[in-house]
Amino acid sequence: MNLFGMLEISGSALGAERQRAEVVASNMANAQTTRTAAGGPYRRQLVVFQSQRMPRFSLALAGWHRASPAVRVAAVIPDARPPQVRFEPGHPDANAQGYVAYPQVDPIEEMTDLLGAVRAYEMNAAAVQAAKNMIQQSMELLR
Amino acid sequence: MSNAISGIRILPAEIDVQRGGPANDKSEFLETLQSAMDQVETAQGAAETKVADLMNGNGMDVHSAMIAVEKADLSFQLMMQVRNKIVAAYQEVSRMQF
Repeated sequence: MNLFGMLEISGSALGAERQRAEVVASNMANAQTTRTAAGGPYRRQLVVFQSQRMPRFSLALAGWHRASPAVRVAAVIPDARPPQVRFEPGHPDANAQGYVAYPQVDPIEEMTDLLGAVRAYEMNAAAVQAAKNMIQQSMELLR
Repeated sequence: MSNAISGIRILPAEIDVQRGGPANDKSEFLETLQSAMDQVETAQGAAETKVADLMNGNGMDVHSAMIAVEKADLSFQLMMQVRNKIVAAYQEVSRMQF
């Protein structure tokens, strides 16, 4: 793996963190959603990251598997926690007892997750910057 | 943008003239140089496509477009460095006194 491979790896991390922030934004936007296409309240979504070897056929052919893995979003899964119910008899989505099921979205949890995604994005952007500087430094050797 | 580099490329006729000479091993270096130039051109083409996708709103990630542009820029810088080195070597030889 050359220095451009480092850019690729950091780029995959930037994409994954962007998707994580997107899912958090979706969770925040749907914090009060009681209707979905699948029926029932909105379910909080979680991203699952997975490490992934960069597909480099020529390297694999040469039996060279030591390339560092990149990251990708393996799945976006719904949170298994049950929805929280509130007593609102006037709500159109209330059940026979007058309870409405709301999504299990905790604002503090989501804000923490969002901050984490933003910081991780910054970190990987710094890694891209570092790789760029390393390439430029190696070109300085020729001067 | 992609045509800029292919314009610089040595014409096939010139290559044939050079290959006609006794030192046939020169062509290997020439091919290396040409493939390097082609790679720079490919990187610039990829960057161009990605930036166009970003500008057209085709759902292209900002970071992947920026990384593609960075790659093209760095490839071009490397090519220029190698070119400067070759030209410097040529000038050095042409100044040689016997």
